[in-house]
Order: sequence, then structure tokens, then C-alpha cells
Amino acid sequence: MITLWHYLAVAAALFGIGLVGFLTRRNMITMFLCAEMMLQGVAINFVAFARYHGNLHGQVFVMFILAVAACEAGIALALVLMLYKRGKSLDASDWQSLRELGVPPAIDTVPLDIEKPEAEPTLAPAGVRPTLTASEEAARV
Amino acid sequence: MSEPLGLAPIILALPLIAAILAAICSRIGLAKIAHVPLILACAVAAVLAILLVLKVGEGDQHQWVSDPITWFAAGNLKVNFTLTVDPLSSIMLAMVTFIATWIAIFSSGYMHGDKGYGRYFAVMSLFVFSMCGLVLANNFLLLVAFWEGVGLCSYLLVGYYFEKPSAAAAARKAFLVTRIGDTGFLLGIFLLWKMGGWNTDLTVLFQYLAQNPPDQAELTTACLLLFCGAVGKSAQFPLYVWLPDAMEGPTPVSALIHAATMVTAGVYLLARCAPLFAMAPDAQVIVAWIGGITALLAAFIALAQTDLKRVLAYSTVSQLGFMFLALGTAGVISPVFAVTAAMFHLFTHAFFKALLFLTAGSVMHAMGGVIDVRRFGGLRKLMPVTHLTFLCGAAALAGIPLLSGFWSKDLVLESLAAASESDRPYTGAYFALMLIAFLTAFMTAFYTFRAYFLTFWGPERIPEEAGHHAHESPAVMTIPLLVLAVGALFVGIVAEPFTHWFSHFLGHTPSLEQATLASGAKAIEHHFNWTIAGLSTGFALGGVLVAFLMYRKGTETLPAAIEPVFALSRNKLYVDEIYNAAIVKPAGVLAMLAKAFDGFLDALARLTSSIPRFIGEWVRPLQNGLVQFYALSMALGLTVFVAFVVLRVTR
Repeated sequence: MITLWHYLAVAAALFGIGLVGFLTRRNMITMFLCAEMMLQGVAINFVAFARYHGNLHGQVFVMFILAVAACEAGIALALVLMLYKRGKSLDASDWQSLRELGVPPAIDTVPLDIEKPEAEPTLAPAGVRPTLTASEEAARV
Repeated sequence: MSEPLGLAPIILALPLIAAILAAICSRIGLAKIAHVPLILACAVAAVLAILLVLKVGEGDQHQWVSDPITWFAAGNLKVNFTLTVDPLSSIMLAMVTFIATWIAIFSSGYMHGDKGYGRYFAVMSLFVFSMCGLVLANNFLLLVAFWEGVGLCSYLLVGYYFEKPSAAAAARKAFLVTRIGDTGFLLGIFLLWKMGGWNTDLTVLFQYLAQNPPDQAELTTACLLLFCGAVGKSAQFPLYVWLPDAMEGPTPVSALIHAATMVTAGVYLLARCAPLFAMAPDAQVIVAWIGGITALLAAFIALAQTDLKRVLAYSTVSQLGFMFLALGTAGVISPVFAVTAAMFHLFTHAFFKALLFLTAGSVMHAMGGVIDVRRFGGLRKLMPVTHLTFLCGAAALAGIPLLSGFWSKDLVLESLAAASESDRPYTGAYFALMLIAFLTAFMTAFYTFRAYFLTFWGPERIPEEAGHHAHESPAVMTIPLLVLAVGALFVGIVAEPFTHWFSHFLGHTPSLEQATLASGAKAIEHHFNWTIAGLSTGFALGGVLVAFLMYRKGTETLPAAIEPVFALSRNKLYVDEIYNAAIVKPAGVLAMLAKAFDGFLDALARLTSSIPRFIGEWVRPLQNGLVQFYALSMALGLTVFVAFVVLRVTR
């Protein structure tokens, strides 16, 4: 029999994993996903209690949470995208410029590798036969 | 616009327009013609003012008060912009504009080529405007506004050569010392405002006080406070020290402001307020004593000064003392007589003192700015016009019979004599003051002719600064000298002794009639007092004779017996040093103490402000810009909070 306790345990686990992930990871997209995870943990709590009490209050709340999470996802990803465009990096610790004056920036002793972004794909100029890469060659066959 | 009240605003507006025009001229590169507006405005104003005098004198009505325009009002205080035209103000107005015209013409020659030419004439015009306003104002606070206006112009003109530290210091001294008097003046006005049914209009106030006799002690206090202002402005003891230093300004300024007009503002104020002073005999005797002390002290200091302009400056202080002597008798004798004597002396003094200053300016112009009588001499041949006009002015000042100064000085002495013979208290004091006045008259004649002989007699000596300037001044400067010399010689004899025009004219002033009514003093018959005239002639001629015997060689060689006296006089009785030790030094110590206390307060404030700074220093590293750190502290804080709620509150 799956009791309330099981639901709550799953929710707590979800929340805990999300929290630990948020605090330990520096990749902004990962951090965002962790935050979503915490949110879903809370949502499970609501659903569980709604079922336990036999009313729909919690369910309604979850609908709101989902709506808000969707908005938040849009905004957060847009911000992440803009930051990436500026600094070519998704490391949250690269963005310390809002610290107080006179406080030295925190520098990790083991810095993350800044991944070189791939070159954007370009088209061959018109009238020239494109030179195919190996994978394309394979696909054509 | 032939009505007197139509003329007055025009006379007032002309110099103001001139000031604006002169300022514009100097801005747009036409500084060379900046003197034109002032000369034209003063000349037209002088003509209008003389017309005004003629109109005021005829007919039955002798006073016009313009409709009050509210300047500002707050609670009980209602200040109106009202002008009044009566014999007193019209004669003063005519005198101011007339003298100003000739001094403006003289200035255009004297200041020629100066780099502040435009500024000079703009401020001079502003001064004439303020002075006319002061004369015409019929409201105490309006009077104060113009009073401060002339003070400001005086400050600007004394400090005209502001690159010179001594001129800047003199300007500051003039402003600060007169400010001491002005403080009393303002207090007096507020006291009068309270006593006089919350009125500030002069005519209304006098009417009110005549119908509701005020408390005697209060009235005496108010009069003395008003007198404070006059003491400051008219350079009376103990506040006279600014006037000799004010000679740092250009000489025509000294002639106009520090001899003929502005310094007489205090005399004019007391003449205007005669209805109040006539009711306060205790205040009057103090006025007379201050006048007497000043007259004697300044004449004594003038004895040995070597700076020609300073001799004249101390002489001005001394003659102003004479005017206050006469004013101080109002109430004991008929105020009409006393005020006439003071105003007549003011009137003639304006002519001959302006003349003397302008001739000193002419000498200074020729000597290349040197004004020390020890460094030049025997200028009789070199500057014949200046010499003759100076002689006219000096003779008038000394009181040589039949010249202006003789008649006016006699009126002052007569008023003192009448006061000492009256049935009122303080006759002894007035008798003593009369003796002081005679002594002063002797000294006046002596120091005036000492300056004359030292400058113009003896072998010709010219300082090397003079260079090619050492010749008679151009016509633009000598013509004003000649006009004023004629005034100095004849204005006295024309105006008073035979026709009694001046006293009859002033006698029509309603405020003076009111003062006579209030004091209850008998009118004095105008008769020529042979005793006084003979005595004063004797003293004057004696002074001239002594000066002739001592200085006809044109150099100063003193017998050893009187050398200490002259040393005392040369050092100005050490008054500046006494003030320095008694007032300036203690004030400096006080300022140092205040500064130390201020430093203590600052340290306290800095200590208080450093507490938040230290706390900030301590917690600032928390704000390190790391998102993870913020999230962690949020999570930990929330944990602690939840733990607290769970463990404490739900227990």
C-alpha cells in the first residue's frame, strides 16, 4: 500500500537532490534544472496532501505552480542565453560583478574548463561543389 | 506730470536706468561712454529736484505722500512702498542730485582710462538711486532697504581697487562697522513698530505717537537705537573708525559718498524722526554729547595727519559731529531751529567738502597718486585753479566770515547757546558742548589751513611718481571745481542770513511742526547773534593765523613742546589700537575657542559615524557576488528558522 509517507519521502528526496544540485553545480542550466526539481518536489507534496485530505485545494495550487514554473523557465532561460552571449560561459561564478567594492572575487582553485564553442556551420559559396565531411559522406550512402 | 508726487518717482527712476545702462555699456564694450548715462540722469534729476523744491515751497500744501503699495505683509507687519515729498526731503534731494552731477562730470575726467570705468559709473548710478530712495522713503523698512543699498554701494566703491589688500580691508571694515550700527537701527524700528500701533509708515507712525503718547523710557530706548544706526552710517564716535579708512576708494567717491551724501544719511534720519527725538530729552542730550565728543576727537586727530584725504575725512567726521550737536538740541529749543541748523550745515558742508575732496583728487591726479602732504608742496603756481578752489573750500570750512561755513556753523552755535539758556534740564551740558564746539571751530580752521599751506605754499616740490602728469587738471575736472567753489562761497549767504529762505522753507515741514508741538519749545526769533558770530570769527581767524605762522614755509617743523601732542594726534589717539586690543583680539580668542569646540563636536560626529562603517567593514565580505553562496546562506537561514519554529513554537 502506498501511503502518504511514501509520497512525502519521494517529494523530500526530490527537493533534497534539487537543493544539493543547486548549491554544488555552477553550470547555470543545471542550476536552473535543479531549481525546477525542487519545485516539483513541492508540487508532489501538494498533490499528496490533496489526495490525503480528499479535496482539490492542493491540486489547484499545483496548477498555479506549473503556470508560474513555465513563465519562470522562459525568463530564466532567456537570461541564461543573454549571459552566455556576453561571456561565452555558463559558469555562474564568472558573474561576480555585483559583489561589494573591495571584496576580492572568489576564484575556484579548480576552475572549470571554459568550453570553446563550436564554430557555427557555414554554407559553401555558390557555384562550388561542397566538400563533404566524413559523417555527411556516410549519410549520403 | 508737474505735481510734486509725479516728479519724485521720475527722479528716483533716472539714476536706476542710468545704472542699468552703464552696466550694459560696460558689458558690450562701450565702457568708454559709461559716464554719459550717469551725468545725464543726474543733471535731469537735479533740474527736476530744483523744480520740486520750488513747487514744494509755494502754496499751502507742503507734504505729499504717495498712495501706499504693499511691498510685503506678514501678520501685524505691513510694509508699504510709499514716497513722501516735503521741504526736508526735497531740499536733500536737490542737494544730492546737484552735487552728484558735478562729481559725475569730475569723475569722467578723473577715472579716465581706468580699467573699471564701466563698473565705477554703474555703481555710482546705483548709489545715487539708493540715496534718492533713502531720502524719499516714507516707510521705515523701505528706508532700511535703501539705507543698506547705499551701504552696499559704499562697500563696492571703497573696495573699487580690490586688488589692493588695503582697499579690500577698508571696504570690509566700512561694511562691518556700519553693520554694528544697523543692528541697533533695526531693533529701534521694531520697537517703534510695536509702540506705534503696528505701523511702519513714518507719517502714520508719527501721527499715532502724537495722539497716543508712548512710555518715556521706551521712547528714549527707541530713539537711542535709531541713533545707533545714525552713529554707524554718519561715522560718529565710537563707530567713526571706518570713514578715514574708506579713503582707499577713488577720490570722487570720497567726495560724493563719504563727505556730501551718504554719511549725512544719519543726520537726515534724525531730522526726519525729529517728532520722536523732540519728545525724548534724555536721548537728545546723549545725541548732543556723542556729536560733541566726535567733533572734538576727530578735529584733534585731523591736526597732524599727513595724508591730505585723511585730514579731510577726519574733518568730515568732525563736521558731522557738529550736525549732531545741533540735532541734539531739538526739543530743548524749537526743533525747527535745531533741525534747520543741522540741515543747513549739512547743505553747506556738502558743497565745500565735496569741493575740498575734488581738489584733493585733482592734486592726487597731478601728483601721480601721491597724497602725502610731506612729499609735495608749493603747488600754487603749478595748479592755479585747484589752488584757488581749494582756498575757497578751506576758507568756507574754516568759517571765514561771509562764506557758507560761517553762516551754518553760527546757526549750530546759536542753537547750542539757545539750548544752554533754556528752561529745560541739561543746560549745563549744552553750555559745555558749546565751549567744545568753539574749540573745535578753532581746530578746524587750524588743520584746514595747515593742509592748505603744506600743499600749496613754500618752494615747489613734486614727487617723482608725478612724471608728466604734473600740470593743472583738464577742464572736465576744473569746471566742477569752479562751480562747487562758487557754491561753497555763496550758497550760505544766499540761502539764509538775510532772506531766511532756508529756515522758512524747512519750517513748513509738517513733521517739524509736529515736533515743535510735541516738545512745546518756544520758536526762536531769527536774529543775528553778534556775540557768537564775533567769537566764532575770532576762533576761526585765530586758527588760520596760527596755521599761517607755523606752516607758511610749506613744511612741518614742530616746536619740541607740542611734538608729543602732535604724535598723539598723528597716531589717531591710538583708537584703532585700543579697538584692536579691546574688541578684535578678544573676538579672535573667542573664535579660536569656538573653533576648538567645533573641532570637538566634529570628532564626536566622526566617532558616531565610524560605528556603522566598522560594522560595514566587517560584514562586507558576505556580499561576494556568488550565487551559490547566497543560495547556501538562504538555505541555512531557512533551516535555522524552521528548526526554531519546529522545536520552540510547536512544543
